[in-house]
Amino acid sequence: MNPIEAEGLVRRFGEIVAVDGVDLVVEQGEIFGFLGPNGAGKSTLVRMLTTLLRPTAGTARVAGYDVVAEAGSVRRSIGVALQDAAIDPLMTGRELVRLQAVLHGISRAEADKRGEVLLARVGLTGAADRRVGTYSGGMRRRLDLALALVHEPTVLFLDEPTTGLDPTSRVSLWEEVRRLNGEGTTVFLTTQYLEEADELAGRIAIIDGGKIVREGNPAVLKAAVGAHTLVVTVPAAQERQATDVLRTFGEERAAKPGSVTIGLTDGPAALSGALRSLEDAGVTVEHVELDAPSLDDVFADATGRRLEGADAGEPVEEAG
Amino acid sequence: MTVAVLDPHEVRIGRRQAVAQASALARRSIRGTIRQPQVWLPGLLFPMFIAAVNTSTMGKAVEFLPGFEGVDSLLDFLLPASITQSVLFGGLTAGSDTATDIQTGFFDRLLASPVSRTSILVGRLAGASVTGAFQAVVFMAIYGAFGVRVAAGLPGALLLIVYAMVLALVIGGFAAMLALRTGSAEAVQNVFPLTFIGLFISSAFFPTSSMSGLYRSIATRNPVTWMVDGMRHQVIVGLDWGEAATSIGVAAGLAVLAIYGAQRALRTRLRRAA
Repeated sequence: MNPIEAEGLVRRFGEIVAVDGVDLVVEQGEIFGFLGPNGAGKSTLVRMLTTLLRPTAGTARVAGYDVVAEAGSVRRSIGVALQDAAIDPLMTGRELVRLQAVLHGISRAEADKRGEVLLARVGLTGAADRRVGTYSGGMRRRLDLALALVHEPTVLFLDEPTTGLDPTSRVSLWEEVRRLNGEGTTVFLTTQYLEEADELAGRIAIIDGGKIVREGNPAVLKAAVGAHTLVVTVPAAQERQATDVLRTFGEERAAKPGSVTIGLTDGPAALSGALRSLEDAGVTVEHVELDAPSLDDVFADATGRRLEGADAGEPVEEAG
Repeated sequence: MTVAVLDPHEVRIGRRQAVAQASALARRSIRGTIRQPQVWLPGLLFPMFIAAVNTSTMGKAVEFLPGFEGVDSLLDFLLPASITQSVLFGGLTAGSDTATDIQTGFFDRLLASPVSRTSILVGRLAGASVTGAFQAVVFMAIYGAFGVRVAAGLPGALLLIVYAMVLALVIGGFAAMLALRTGSAEAVQNVFPLTFIGLFISSAFFPTSSMSGLYRSIATRNPVTWMVDGMRHQVIVGLDWGEAATSIGVAAGLAVLAIYGAQRALRTRLRRAA
């Protein structure tokens, strides 16, 4: 039995199809990254898997239970940290851990014991008796994680857990997620940060327009995209000319405005030749980047758009 | 394939756990109220201010105006009105806090845990009810310092506390219903002035015998009048179980309606979300 299985999962809101026939299997003990731009359907899928939203069609089983017919059992088995760390600012960290424990039917004595351990684990022992309203964004997220773990769930859902966090807090949360996963917890992580998925996930799925457009191991997906990417920034007036020159070195890819992006067929070895050709053609090169294939390239390859900085349905620039 | 038509929000748990959950949520509600003095303080001060103004400007009226027979001081007369007014303030907090939970996502946190959906509502209303009891005690203590004595003695004081607790369920229930329907704390707060119309067109501040015309006609049919008059009898005349039963009975009837409405609104919200 896999901790998460979805088959043909659909969710419509009136005419809008937010999730459109998603099939998904997350295996025991893995960190599964679910990537996509805002509005792609990530949170809708998470809300269905965590029983907050009923699928319009399809089935899903989480921790072995059907998310519709056995919703109560699903809730007992999962930990959920939703977007924005919805935590009562008037309560203290310790009070919230106790409340969450009682909601899960844990005795007061056991709740206190687990609370101490969890608060220490997420580095909040010193702030445990302070009201959450005084916490920083990073502290709230860590408390949110502790709350999601209080009943020792077998499957943990983290919905964009690091959105809005500073880099230090982000890395600290990543370490905690890795540690949890090392202890056997299956983690379903949605994110719009490619780096986060790359760092944490053993397997990822990319969702766009409600459909999964790529799924697999990040390294394998990146390798499948192929060549290194050459990104050249040129004056707007010379963009077309630069594109014509660079097309002889590889396939044009989706690019941000003001730059030309090419998948170098011969890899880094072709860099000097490409730059020389631009110089010969009289193109002024303002900036050059040579990138190994990234998840953004995987996303661009699948959708024709760049994920970073892009919202669903708002293509940065369509590929040639 | 279409999934089975079941309510995904139904949670089957034992009664003992449901009670524990409701108690924990009630404690959260009370704690939240205590930690927001800006929320509960006006609910105490405003009725006291109104009572102070009335006794200063019309204190002597009890000696000659009809309807004040047997009333020693206007403050005696106003005690049940002040408690009612204060509970109106406090009860609405139950609604606006519920709406805030919805707006901030805390409500979703509750729904994603195996908590009885009824416990969410019961916890919030129980918190409001305990706050109502506290308000009644505070008013009796402070007005007592100014010479007000409940003629019915300890049983009368206890009846006033019970009345405040049931009335808090009425206001809290209606406010929670509104919160669950709109999901907006602002919508709940904007209803507040309307509740005052109900209070002012009643015998809360003047006996109905001193009113005339349509105003009197509405006031005598206003449930607030029945509730306040029943409690006033305990303060001014003495213990009267019949009056108390009318007062608390009317409040209890309204509470049943309010809680039913809130429960329906909760189900509607859960169905809509599902």
